[in-house]
Amino acid sequence: MESLCRAAEMEASREGILPSDPFDDHDGCSAFSHHLPSRNIPRNWKNITEEFNESASHLKLGELLHDSIFGLFEAMSAIEMMDPKMDAGMMCNQSGHKVLNLQQSIEAGRLKTSDLTNHELIGIMDTTFACLATWLEGHSLAQTVFTNLYAHNPDLIDDRCLRAFSLVILKMVDTIKDKVMRAGVYEEEDFQSMTYGFKLAHNVTELRVVGMLKEIEEDYNRRVRNTRARQGEDRDTATELEHEQCIAVVSRIKFCRMFYSALLAFTKKEIKQSVEEAKKLLLLALDLLPAIQKTVELGDPQVISDDETSPAMPDYPNVMGFEPLVNQRLLPPTFPRYAKIISRRDAISYLEGLMARLRTVCEVTSLTPFHPIVDFFAEFSKQCPCVLSRSVLQQIFLPYNNKKVFGVELVQECLRDTLRGFVCPPVLAQRSPIYNNAQAKEMADSMLMHSIRPMCSLMQIHGHNRARQRDKFGQLLEELAGLQDQAEKVDANLHTIMSKAEVKKTYEASFSCWVMYHTLRTMIQYVQSGFELELYGIHEYHYIFWYLSDFLYAWFISTLSQADSMLGDHETQYAEPQGKGRSNKKKAKRKRPRPLERELALCKAQQALCSGFYKAVMGFRLDTKIKQPNSEFDNEKVRFEHRFSAFSTVPTPPLVQYDQFCEITTPKMSPVALYGTSSELFSHAAELLDKVPNPNPEIQSLIRVAKTNNVVLRLLVGGHKRDSQAPPQFEFTTHRTFPIIKLV
Amino acid sequence: MDEETVEETSTSMNGGEPKPNIAPEDTPNQEKLETDRAIEMRKRMESWLNQPMRIQMTDGRTLVGTFICTDKDRNVILGSCEEYVNPPDSPEKEEPRVLGLAMVPGQHIVSIEIDEASNSLL
Repeated sequence: MESLCRAAEMEASREGILPSDPFDDHDGCSAFSHHLPSRNIPRNWKNITEEFNESASHLKLGELLHDSIFGLFEAMSAIEMMDPKMDAGMMCNQSGHKVLNLQQSIEAGRLKTSDLTNHELIGIMDTTFACLATWLEGHSLAQTVFTNLYAHNPDLIDDRCLRAFSLVILKMVDTIKDKVMRAGVYEEEDFQSMTYGFKLAHNVTELRVVGMLKEIEEDYNRRVRNTRARQGEDRDTATELEHEQCIAVVSRIKFCRMFYSALLAFTKKEIKQSVEEAKKLLLLALDLLPAIQKTVELGDPQVISDDETSPAMPDYPNVMGFEPLVNQRLLPPTFPRYAKIISRRDAISYLEGLMARLRTVCEVTSLTPFHPIVDFFAEFSKQCPCVLSRSVLQQIFLPYNNKKVFGVELVQECLRDTLRGFVCPPVLAQRSPIYNNAQAKEMADSMLMHSIRPMCSLMQIHGHNRARQRDKFGQLLEELAGLQDQAEKVDANLHTIMSKAEVKKTYEASFSCWVMYHTLRTMIQYVQSGFELELYGIHEYHYIFWYLSDFLYAWFISTLSQADSMLGDHETQYAEPQGKGRSNKKKAKRKRPRPLERELALCKAQQALCSGFYKAVMGFRLDTKIKQPNSEFDNEKVRFEHRFSAFSTVPTPPLVQYDQFCEITTPKMSPVALYGTSSELFSHAAELLDKVPNPNPEIQSLIRVAKTNNVVLRLLVGGHKRDSQAPPQFEFTTHRTFPIIKLV
Repeated sequence: MDEETVEETSTSMNGGEPKPNIAPEDTPNQEKLETDRAIEMRKRMESWLNQPMRIQMTDGRTLVGTFICTDKDRNVILGSCEEYVNPPDSPEKEEPRVLGLAMVPGQHIVSIEIDEASNSLL
């Protein structure tokens, strides 16, 4: 169904029905009067209903009458009228009431443009926040923010507070849209950037909007002071209410100002400074939200008149100024989604979450490039953050206007430093014999230049939503394969140069080791994402876990160990000379830091885990406890090849063929022995993980998984639930990719 | 024309459809007549293909587009289709919404009109 919709949409865009900004020269209110010239051909309509009915009835069942150029495919791509999912126009006729635009509503007296009460203002503001949050969750502007008629044209609003608020909302929309689009880590399900020709307050400057908000704040603060309780003076309830309402309004206005200023700060050139500034602003904004949350009910609609309740649109707010259907006819013919506006309370909570996420994102500037940042990106992505925070993170890392890391350092320079810290290739180490060799230098530089693209794609992929990452990792492998090829050539050439320069020392393949590290990491992420996306059936687990444990992790561990020892060797050979005595003494005392130690330990533990799962699943298979697909419709070879087809583009490590896999994995043990081995592997994994210093929550959950599974497998060895025919369950609640086995 | 009559015609035709096109020579006179009628109707319908067509739907909307395809259940596909919310004779001028390729299920069709002006041009 979805693909069908998309096809129809494509069809529509081919016919030019989905222009980017069709009403550019009109303002928002007159968008309806958009004119197509072909309409005025005189028609002489003749009713043929009965003839048509009779003729159609002569057709055979399933027969289509059509021209030779029209095929079934085209027939499929048509949108279906009167289908509520496809036919956006249907909505307009369902509710009885007339939809008016801003101008008409003002004329009809349906909305006020001046002297709004505080109560009305709070209602409008909170509902607008709800619309904004709904938009940020991936719905169209036409169905969210622009159901607010006030946002159509703030110039028509006389009320200063509402006018400033409407303007800042438009400005926010514009800034957010700009950020998200520039970062380019969104897909159609994440974000809708189309503005439907609405003006986003381009005629007002950022400074002016902020200034207007400040003025309003001052006004309201004065009113807050005037209505404050004074000693020995009793306030009447009206004053008290006004006092509360004024505080509510001012905190909303102030929140907007802080949030908008923070968004602007992210756009500035000096990344580190402006990120600090943004962090402060976000904190201030965040502090205001609890108070806003508490005062949501001050804006509750008092009486819902008959006119305002539209039973067809239960999910839309019915606050003054909001007209859910006002843009229905602007929507493209096949509008994929029905937008449910979230509640005002949920919206405030959403904004709280957003502020917190944006603050988290700011932390990235304290890291040194490049690998810690990759880890940060990967960790952040695991929380499935919203598209705005993902985009902001991308923009902090590589601002669009200069494409330097944090806006200061060239990517290749970053990579150079990273490589020094990772394997310390002789060509990049100052004291090595080939550091000053022009030819070697040139090769290393070109290698670094070629690494920029794949490494930047790697960062960008982490910015996409989780489901999209998988495919993109597959594509990245292709790029990495090319880089690997080059790295091997560079390493070979450097080896020749090196052996000429210095006979004693052998050259190790440092560049290819580094590329291999990223290739394997990507491959593991690719396979693991299948668990998170629930792609694998339980009957597939044996080869998935085998591929991870015996193949990918095995390669990864050997690559890491190689890098670890290479770094050690190279550093002792080419480390800073004795000249700088102080640091040297320190170094001698301290144990040599091994940056890869932690990752290596984690990998070993994860390998043991995967291996444990593999053995357990093999045991279950032998015990026929896992439901197998009907053999008539099943071909394990096809499934196996499909699961790992993305790896076919990578020459090293080579793709394991299905026959190979079968040969290697023919079980030679009894199920009980397999369970026993599995339990040992889980306990080994737990031991390894326990040793990792400063375990983060993820490591802690891995320990839980390992320990629980160890117990479960030991129970199995003891014969617990041996006779149960129910298949074991795999629960991914503790960890996304490593399940807890449950016996039923 | 309302929906009931539509139902009637289509069901009666369902009953009398013993594949008239396949072996016309062997069939009795009555059926031959029916076959001729069927062929004639089909020709008429083919002549409407690619002509402007206006369809009124059960919910009051009017669609104007090019007749592209139909089937036994009167499901109609219109190309470059435009949607009008107000009835065609209403005084209010209305800008249509462009739909592109649209399929109107037979059960939602109230009336079908063909443009004579463009027919006579051809």
